Amino acid sequence: MSDHLCEIDVSDIDLADERYKILFSENNIEFLAQSIEETGLIYPPIVRPVNNKFIIISGFNRIRAHIHNNRVHNGKIKIVVYKTNADTTDYQCLLKSIAALAFKRPLTQAELIACTSRLYHFLDEKQIAEKSSAIFNTELSVRFVKDLLIAAGLPDPGLKLIHTGHLSFKSAKKIALFEKDTIKIFLEIFSNIRASNNKQLEIILYIMEIAARDNILPGKIFKNQEIQDILFDDKKETGLKTSLLRACLFELRFPTVFKMRQKVLKKITSVKFGNKIKFLPPENLDSQTNSISFTARTYEEFASNVQNLNAVLGKKELKELFNQ
Amino acid sequence: MKIDTLFIDKAVQKDLEIEYLLSKVNADPQWVDNTQTIYDFINSDDDPILRAKKTLYITRNKGAVIKECPGTSFYTCCDYTILHTGTFCTMDCSYCILQAYFHPPVLQYFAGLKKLGHTLEKTFRQNKIFRIGTGEYTDSLIWEKISLQPKFLIETFAKQNNCLLELKTKTVNIESLLHLDHNEKTVFAWSLNTPAVISSEEKGTASLKARFEAARRVESEGYKLAFHFDPIVIYPGCEVQYKKVVKQIFKYVHPESIVWISIGTFRFMPKLKQIIEKRFKHSTIPYGEFILGLDNKMRYFKPLRINIYKEIISCIREYAPDLMVYFCMEDQEVWEKCIGFFPEKEGELGHLLDKSAVTHCSLNSNLL
Repeated sequence: MSDHLCEIDVSDIDLADERYKILFSENNIEFLAQSIEETGLIYPPIVRPVNNKFIIISGFNRIRAHIHNNRVHNGKIKIVVYKTNADTTDYQCLLKSIAALAFKRPLTQAELIACTSRLYHFLDEKQIAEKSSAIFNTELSVRFVKDLLIAAGLPDPGLKLIHTGHLSFKSAKKIALFEKDTIKIFLEIFSNIRASNNKQLEIILYIMEIAARDNILPGKIFKNQEIQDILFDDKKETGLKTSLLRACLFELRFPTVFKMRQKVLKKITSVKFGNKIKFLPPENLDSQTNSISFTARTYEEFASNVQNLNAVLGKKELKELFNQ
Repeated sequence: MKIDTLFIDKAVQKDLEIEYLLSKVNADPQWVDNTQTIYDFINSDDDPILRAKKTLYITRNKGAVIKECPGTSFYTCCDYTILHTGTFCTMDCSYCILQAYFHPPVLQYFAGLKKLGHTLEKTFRQNKIFRIGTGEYTDSLIWEKISLQPKFLIETFAKQNNCLLELKTKTVNIESLLHLDHNEKTVFAWSLNTPAVISSEEKGTASLKARFEAARRVESEGYKLAFHFDPIVIYPGCEVQYKKVVKQIFKYVHPESIVWISIGTFRFMPKLKQIIEKRFKHSTIPYGEFILGLDNKMRYFKPLRINIYKEIISCIREYAPDLMVYFCMEDQEVWEKCIGFFPEKEGELGHLLDKSAVTHCSLNSNLL
């Protein structure tokens, strides 16, 4: 059953066949190539013989680096590999490809999703969880495996967004359950902004709730001109786009709350309390308790703040703040 | 919802009350030792809440029969007293808090009319006015079709003069109760909503028209009435629709027969939202402009609440200027802006309601 070490021609490897590839991005192989040049190939790649060719199970980058190092040679490039036996099954090859990477470094979430999804062709959730420590070098619960499989429902661009950190695992799980067109919209949104997990979930929630409330498809919200202008303005930073998008969605989701908040903020500004005095309206404008605060390091600062407060006492706008 | 499964607690003795229930519920009784059997049965269903609505468990009330209403300190409460005669409901309102309140919900009928009578006797002997209702944890009149309990309660309350019985319902199950000697001590109360909300959110309940017709019939038998606009659901054009409902009240019944009208907008524990989304996929009620209130419940943004309250109250005032209208769980600002005063002192709202109860139901006025 064990693979055996042998030397093969690189030209006999089908480089286009990436069925066992787990990595999401093409790593820069410059350093790896230099390392191989200096120290030789420490860990030989694993390949599988298929139809008079070899396909790579593990070592995509090592093979690329090896080719890179030898590209000036005109003759055949040889490489030392582990060749699987002819009777090695597809499932065994998959295990090798995952374990080879997982025992080198922890898999990223996108890699975990992709691997779990592939394993699901051979094992059920419970079996994957049971074998997880041997395959993934970490224990996965059945529930987590199920979650990974849900996220695996996303198309490839979704997994790439998870890999680049544009899409959180929780958000991925959520949107994976939506209709195809809706998934596409969210992938488009998250590829254009940079938001934390909570902010992503808020964006998803607001869009879905506005759509449900107004009985429209999420696509219609996405096509809203203001949202399009925010998302596709190349001059704006992704962080700024996120803030603007959230504000825009909040206004659509809570129009009355938004208007009232704006009104109150405008009034607070118009009172001109002074830079060091903070006036906080009631939480959610539900209670009647406003709060006011300032800090003072010296008596003079304290007195100055009190004077500023005294100065605004008679202002109409201040009274209005208490009588919304 | 039709009851198709019946469990009976082995501790319950088979008497007239139980015989009556068995004759009315079309399901073979399964006698059980403990509640776990029912929990397991309900929880094994894909939709345990729906399952619970079709599964009746006849048992004894092992806790307090009479309880104070669980109001919160941030909003003004009406000091209501709950008569705990059963739990859950056979109707299926999307917004029903009982879906999230019990774990899991169980449609329970608390047998033991004698014990109920004895407990009530103690309350009847107190020198205090009580407004007592059975509609807090269940609908008061879903039981009329299958049990003798509503009849028993009306007749028991008829024999005293310090307690009012309020039977809150969305049904029109009044037939067996119409001709009882109630001595004006029972108030039939209907939860009201717009036809749009009833058809979209109150599955299995009586139509608005049917509720009004039932109100007219009980009024003609001398019963007093109450109406509860709760939960008010805010949606485009709702102001006009709610005012239409108000107008209809006075088309069907006399303002003098109405002991009180309560109003309260939709509010909910955050966890109810998920239940609504899962069980009522077409419902849009969770998507209003809700904020987290001081009591950790989601409530409509206050200006929206005030707006709809003002509309409804001004409409009620057109027809019945002196009718007792009160808010269920609202704060000082809402009271002052919508009703013009705030029952600030502890128990003040309760006292106002007691006064209305004494006036309408001939209770002992010396106890005020």
